[in-house]
Amino acid sequence: MRIGVFICQCGTNIAGTVDTRAVAKKAMEFPDVVFAVDYMYTCSEPGQKEIQDAISSHRLQGVVVAACSPRMHEPTFRRAVKKAGINPYMFEQANIREHCSWIGTDREANTRKAIDMVRMSVEKLRRNQALFSTQVAVNKRVLVIGGGVAGIQAALDCSDGGLEVVMVEREPSIGGKMAKLDKTFPTIDCSSCILGPKMVDVAQKENIRLYAYSEVEAISGYIGNFKVDIRKKATYVDWNACTGCGECTQKCPSKKAFDHFNEGLGATTAINIPFPQAIPKKARIDSDYCRYLTGGKCRVCEKICPVKAIRFDMKDEIVTEEVGAIIVASGYDLFDARVYGEYGGGRYPDVISAMQYERILSASGPYGGHIRRPSDGREPKEIVFISCVGSRDISVDRPYCSGICCMYIAKQAIMTRDHIPDSNCYVSYMDIRAPGKGYDEFIRRAQEEYGVKYIRGRVGRIYPRGDRLVVQGADTLLGVQVEIEADLVVLATGVECSAGARPLAEKLRISYDQHGFYMESHPKLRPVETNTAGVFLAGVCQGPKDIPASVGQGSAAASKVQALFSRDTIETDPQVAHVNENMCIGCGKCEQVCPFGAIRMKTLRDGSRKSEVLETVCQGCGLCNATCPNKAIQLRHSTDDQILAEINTLFD
Amino acid sequence: MDDKTNALREHVKGIFSNLELVLGWEPGYDPLHTRPFYVRTESDIDRLTANCLSFQNLTRYLAKSMNAVDPAADGRKIGVCVKGCDSRSLVALIQEKFVSRDRVYVIGLPCRGTLDARRIRALVPDPARIRSVNAEGDELVVETDRGISRFALDRAIARKCLQCRYPNPVIHDVLIGDPVTPRLKIDAENPSVAAVEALSLEDRLLFWENQLDRCIRCFACRNACPLCVCQNHCIMETRMPKWITQYRNMNEKFMFHMIHALHLAGRCTECGECERVCPVGIPVALIKEKINAIIYEMLDYESGIDPEAVPPLLTFSPKETGI
Ligand SMILES: Cc1cc2nc3c(=O)[nH]c(=O)nc-3n(C[C@H](O)[C@H](O)[C@H](O)COP(=O)(O)OP(=O)(O)OC[C@H]3O[C@@H](n4cnc5c(N)ncnc54)[C@H](O)[C@@H]3O)c2cc1C
Ligand code: SF4
Ligand code: SF4
Ligand code: SF4
Ligand code: SF4
Repeated sequence: MRIGVFICQCGTNIAGTVDTRAVAKKAMEFPDVVFAVDYMYTCSEPGQKEIQDAISSHRLQGVVVAACSPRMHEPTFRRAVKKAGINPYMFEQANIREHCSWIGTDREANTRKAIDMVRMSVEKLRRNQALFSTQVAVNKRVLVIGGGVAGIQAALDCSDGGLEVVMVEREPSIGGKMAKLDKTFPTIDCSSCILGPKMVDVAQKENIRLYAYSEVEAISGYIGNFKVDIRKKATYVDWNACTGCGECTQKCPSKKAFDHFNEGLGATTAINIPFPQAIPKKARIDSDYCRYLTGGKCRVCEKICPVKAIRFDMKDEIVTEEVGAIIVASGYDLFDARVYGEYGGGRYPDVISAMQYERILSASGPYGGHIRRPSDGREPKEIVFISCVGSRDISVDRPYCSGICCMYIAKQAIMTRDHIPDSNCYVSYMDIRAPGKGYDEFIRRAQEEYGVKYIRGRVGRIYPRGDRLVVQGADTLLGVQVEIEADLVVLATGVECSAGARPLAEKLRISYDQHGFYMESHPKLRPVETNTAGVFLAGVCQGPKDIPASVGQGSAAASKVQALFSRDTIETDPQVAHVNENMCIGCGKCEQVCPFGAIRMKTLRDGSRKSEVLETVCQGCGLCNATCPNKAIQLRHSTDDQILAEINTLFD
Repeated sequence: MDDKTNALREHVKGIFSNLELVLGWEPGYDPLHTRPFYVRTESDIDRLTANCLSFQNLTRYLAKSMNAVDPAADGRKIGVCVKGCDSRSLVALIQEKFVSRDRVYVIGLPCRGTLDARRIRALVPDPARIRSVNAEGDELVVETDRGISRFALDRAIARKCLQCRYPNPVIHDVLIGDPVTPRLKIDAENPSVAAVEALSLEDRLLFWENQLDRCIRCFACRNACPLCVCQNHCIMETRMPKWITQYRNMNEKFMFHMIHALHLAGRCTECGECERVCPVGIPVALIKEKINAIIYEMLDYESGIDPEAVPPLLTFSPKETGI
């Protein structure tokens, strides 16, 4: 093989602590190397040209570039060598920047290390093989999991682009958390006024198929060709017949059913429509509260329903959909305030969560938009908001900032002062995080225009005195203890991953961080992609964020899907596992460990079992390779021999 | 194992018509050995023996010499005699789908230890004159052409048997003889491992260097292991990928034993076959015992107990790492 080596100076990034000229000179001594040079910016246009010229003038068959991380520029250089006529996999990149020049200042040692790294890359390249992608057809339908604002935005954008969309929502209605909000910061516009029309659009677009009260049961296949089993949970009402007239809910005698939409403030009927703007606006029987389903007697709704839509014998149903891409927008849940016993959440009726307060503020809420205390219905005058309940607290395993609480507390305090001008609002905070557009101004408005009293410090304890609550804490700016007698305490419970986030990730074969938020492929450069090709993220399921960011991500994910679907076929990555059938003993261990379901066992005509890789499903993770006892399964472009050669050359 | 020859023959006679063959033992080439034996016809049954010399782990043949992956079309089974330790290998093979539970008829033999021919030769002044050996209660009775001598049984049985935790087969269709009391509790520390760990780091290195230096890479250990299933596709013998060379040095020998042990991590059932067959007397099972101890501690898993369990290193669980 004729190998050319290009050492990048990266301005002074590399040349500052590595003698690139010496590295190039040394590289000429390595086996098969016929050309070596150092260059100011190899990735630049003239830098790439230099590589291409050398390929033709020195008849190179392989290229090593020693520069930055392959994550940064491997695609760039692969394209460059391909243009000059050599297979893009006959290219190796040694990372002498992040792995060498940036981490030490000893020029001599760095130079030695850079030489070793180039030597390793040369040894690897000598064992490389030309690899070729294959083409697979793309099924241009997209699945959106979760019908919160992020999922809705993604679905509508895809639909506008002419794609067929399948939306799966776990709850009886789409809308997610935003549907429960009263007003939204920083503009204080009415949440349902801006979300409602989008929800209606979802229902009306002909190319969106909505499965509400449904969940993803299983996913198989790969980018361009996923197969999804969806469990339609039993609603006991035939939604094709139900007109959403609500007659049944008037007559249902079981009136103590838990009202999920109102966060348990107030109750609803066993057969109910979650809220007036629900999409789909259909009735569902809550089997935990239905008298007939729990006690065997009643069936009142069945008699009332003018279209005879009640089906007590309904069972869960599994339907299968085929799609080419998946957008996950499964949102979040809120921290359980009961964990902080000292605040009395869940124990004192007038210590409520901020989401409950949203419902109290809302005109469609349990109190018709009048601010009242849950305990006695009295209008509160002294209201304390406590921030960071389950955020930025290592002791409850929530070290991260929920990102939205400072803002919605300010919003709720402003709304309170607006509704009850003679009230006092106090906010106990750690620091205020308001980095968005118009956000800091919004907080200032709360403080200056609305006279909300901000007290920096933690609340230590809340306890009842008479029919009020004593809030004890510190003001760390003044260095004094404070005690406020409050009528109502609102806890800004933090954002946590959605209840089913982890099992869903396992079905999707995507990764999540230690707190259950889904991992993007690259935190800066690939923020809506996952490491599983064809699966994209939108909204809070990826990490805490507010509505503008969720919507932005929804649109971003939709545009990624559109870019993917703008082609009829996609190229597969050839860096996948490959079985040497002669060596495979058919033990099936690879099949067992493969996290992507990319391996299946087959039986040859002589009866022997062999493993087989589904190349389009394989993600090249290498687990099978590590597990295979006799290494019959190898990862193309990272074979054992290639890695061993890299290691061995260090000891030669 | 106490002599169970007669009871075994009786039982096999009764069921033989339902079986394709029976894997058992027969007397060997000298009074210190038996050898594996396939009972194929009615008349073979009287050659079967089962006693303190029945050391071979016969489950090895199920995975390596015959196809037991699926049940036979005619429903006939392969009878296999197992001691406690052997039964765990069988469970492991069932877990890994090398053997179908429906393909085998498991004849369980509770066992108080099998003899170690090397230790007996060290006990008896003139081993060539041994005519018979027999376990009677806690004693070993050795008959030579000069008379009879008796030794404590513990001085003659294999190392693995001295620390046996599963003397009774964990799976069986029939049990021949009464269950016996295990020598060690299930969660007891492995005394051999503890002894090596008591050495200083330098002494431990020296110990293993001295041991492994003798290895001639005959691969007897690998071949005897019921769970070393790669056979002639073993990584030790391929040059693609080239993990191991033929160079005769400590690095290569060490590498071989580490690969061997790692392939058995969470799978080895401590049947001790690898160690028994080593022609140069290297305590090879000890390495695997140490790894097993780690697996037990870290993952709370013991191989070859529950046919339904999945060995921890043969699964991918995102929960383990929180990926
Ligand atoms: C009290 C409070 C006030 C707020 N006020 C504001 C504000 O004023 N302005 C602002 O910008 N932001 C505000 N936010 C933040 C806002 O709620 C979120 O940014 C936004 O709702 C995120 O939308 P989403 O679609 O990502 O998630 P979600 O709204 O949680 O939607 C996710 C959807 O997915 C569904 N789902 C979950 N798992 C599955 C599954 N496995 N299968 C199918 N479906 C599933 C859920 O049922 C839900 O419908 C507030 C938050 C709180 C807690
Ligand atoms: S590399 Fe192996 S384990 Fe990983 S996805 Fe591909 S086949 Fe599965
Ligand atoms: S692990 Fe290796 S030997 Fe076993 S089936 Fe897979 S490829 Fe074949
Ligand atoms: S490694 Fe040795 S002790 Fe373990 S199962 Fe194999 S032969 Fe038995
Ligand atoms: S049986 Fe002994 S000598 Fe032979 S390979 Fe195994 S350890 Fe080495």
